[in-house]
Amino acid sequence: MTDALVLTEVTKRYGALAAVDALSLRVPAGQVLGFLGPNGAGKTTTLRMVMGITYPDSGSLEILGQRSARKVADRVGYLPEERGLYRKLTVEATLRYLGHLKGLRGPELTRRIDESLERVGLADRKKSRVETLSKGMQQKLQFICTLLHQPELVILDEPFAGLDPLNVDLLERLVAELRRAGLSVVFSTHQMEQAERLCDRIVLINRGRKLLDGTLAEVRARFHTRIVLLEGEGDFSHLADWTGVARAQVTAGQARLELADGTDIDALLHQAVRSVRLRRFELARPSLQEIFVKLVAADTDAAAATAGRERTNA
Amino acid sequence: MHKIAIVAWHEFFETVRTRMFFISLFLVPGLILALVFGADWIAQLTEREAMPQRRIALVDYSGRVTEELHRQVEAHNQANPNRPFVLEVRPPTVDDATIADEVRSGRIYAYLKIPAAALDPPAPASSEPADVLAGPAALERLLSPDSPDACELGRKDQQLQALRELHQMVNAAVRNVRFAQAGLDPTTVARLQAEVPLRSVDVRTGEGGKDDVVVRMLMPFAFMFLLFMGTMQISYGLLTSLLEEKSSRVIEVLLSALSPLQLMAGKILGVVLVGLLLILVWGGVGYYTAQARGFDYLLSGRLLVYVGLYFIPGFLLISAFLGAIGSACNTLKEAQSMASPITLINIVPLMLWLPISQNPSAAWSVALSFFPPFTPFVMVLRICADPDTPLWQLLATQLVLWLAVAGTIWAAAKIFRVGILMYGKPPSPRELLRWLRYA
Repeated sequence: MTDALVLTEVTKRYGALAAVDALSLRVPAGQVLGFLGPNGAGKTTTLRMVMGITYPDSGSLEILGQRSARKVADRVGYLPEERGLYRKLTVEATLRYLGHLKGLRGPELTRRIDESLERVGLADRKKSRVETLSKGMQQKLQFICTLLHQPELVILDEPFAGLDPLNVDLLERLVAELRRAGLSVVFSTHQMEQAERLCDRIVLINRGRKLLDGTLAEVRARFHTRIVLLEGEGDFSHLADWTGVARAQVTAGQARLELADGTDIDALLHQAVRSVRLRRFELARPSLQEIFVKLVAADTDAAAATAGRERTNA
Repeated sequence: MHKIAIVAWHEFFETVRTRMFFISLFLVPGLILALVFGADWIAQLTEREAMPQRRIALVDYSGRVTEELHRQVEAHNQANPNRPFVLEVRPPTVDDATIADEVRSGRIYAYLKIPAAALDPPAPASSEPADVLAGPAALERLLSPDSPDACELGRKDQQLQALRELHQMVNAAVRNVRFAQAGLDPTTVARLQAEVPLRSVDVRTGEGGKDDVVVRMLMPFAFMFLLFMGTMQISYGLLTSLLEEKSSRVIEVLLSALSPLQLMAGKILGVVLVGLLLILVWGGVGYYTAQARGFDYLLSGRLLVYVGLYFIPGFLLISAFLGAIGSACNTLKEAQSMASPITLINIVPLMLWLPISQNPSAAWSVALSFFPPFTPFVMVLRICADPDTPLWQLLATQLVLWLAVAGTIWAAAKIFRVGILMYGKPPSPRELLRWLRYA
């Protein structure tokens, strides 16, 4: 499988600050990548470099097999975080102008404008000025502007920010459609539930550096097998002393066990069944949210500690 | 290249459609036409309105001017029935304060005192008769308005036309009396002093005898004014459209389809087209006016070509500069204050038009034309004033100008690329320079 997007050791500095620090990632064609990270992690900077709006100080980029997004501009759709439209233009004129810029023309362009407006329920607002549309409608319009030229790779920077639940739902369905249609999609977000629902892969960055990279399944596998939740009747305390358990919290009728590496879960289950009347035995699946919070907090603490040491040394 | 054209056309079309553009398109030529044709009309209108008789208290200390002055006033009243004067003779014994009070109270319009010495101008010292013959300057030194021998006109208002008319009548009356005293016939004197006619012929156009000195002087100004107005329009148009795109956050959407350089080039091309359309319309109106007044022979095709050759890079230079500024700012106010040097630069040649068009080949005129921001203005002035501007200067200034255009566009593109994505505080000039070094 070819890759739609490959970043190799990409770095971008603003003065002393490394906004993006030796970041590598790849998006296989036809997959949806969730690009996660807290505010200020370097997501927008990365996506701008991908789009060729700013340039990396070092490292290399490959987008749809080319070194520069400029060469494939007509095959990429980009919805920036800082997005807006001409207030005085009509919906149709907006789509027509942006369509022209993406290399569409003539009856083909007209057909796609009508189709797209139909799809998001804006067909009756074709002749309205953009400024008369509600915010949600404007965001839908921005979204179809991004997709009008039927790109192979779609890059969405915080596409769900500021949308009401109804529109979030609509956009999620549109993203899911893109995925079914076999497009490659990168979208940045700091909302983990969306990433869980929509992505094949996720990349988590903090302070410009990658903390996590893998398919959703890989990421879960890496984090979820360590904790077992038990409920039932009987004494759980001797389970806490079992060899494979690293740490345990035991309350009346409940236990939360953190397992050591390489512990056989089947053996634990046998042990538990023998000692207590078990009503629940659950491998806890930490939500992406939890993983995110944990990793980012740890990374940020480490950074603070390093900075503190440097200050002390100085 | 194609995307530049799409942006340029969008920019042009969207600007031309606005009400603001429509207004500036017709307002400016409307004002010009109103100035040219309306001034006469207003002058006629004021002439037609009749003034009340203005009474002048005349104190003629010699008693010999009164009769002649009466004749002059009569002649004036006949020629200007709407602005009549009446003389009231007062004895030389009249009290200065009384007569001033009369004027102050408004009973009479003015008093006029003609001392006896006025009839006998002082003779120049015998050592300098040559001076006197050479011109009136030597005599004027002896006859200043501050001397006790000067005539005196006392009024409440400072109306210029009345002053001129009265001065002229006093002048004529006193001179005629002087001639009579010297035994000269005033008619003979007038005949001998008649102006020597001089016909000014332009050997290039073969036109002559027309009273076109003022028009020739104003024509370069008209061209420069066109350039100035076009520049202002371009500045305003480019800054508003850039800042609208920036504040509505549409810029980055556009940047996914085309490079910052293409975007900037398209916008600049668009506004330059708007500017050219404007000056084409305004220039057309100007040409029509010149034709209506019979001065179109002054506008040769060659001249218009040269003007175009300097207008286009001039517009490009300014819009590249403003593109950089507009991209770095967030509000029109910020951008306008940062662009104020440009406005100042445009005003300097506007103030220098007279010295430059009168001395188009002077060393400093030539020097100014090699300073790129001035080049279009100064060269248009010089070419209008002197069609024989040396070819090397034309070529060299074009070269300098286009080099400056290329350099400014290069720098502007760099600043544009950084500035267009910057929100918040506008950058200081030092930060702008640092942006130039960004890759």
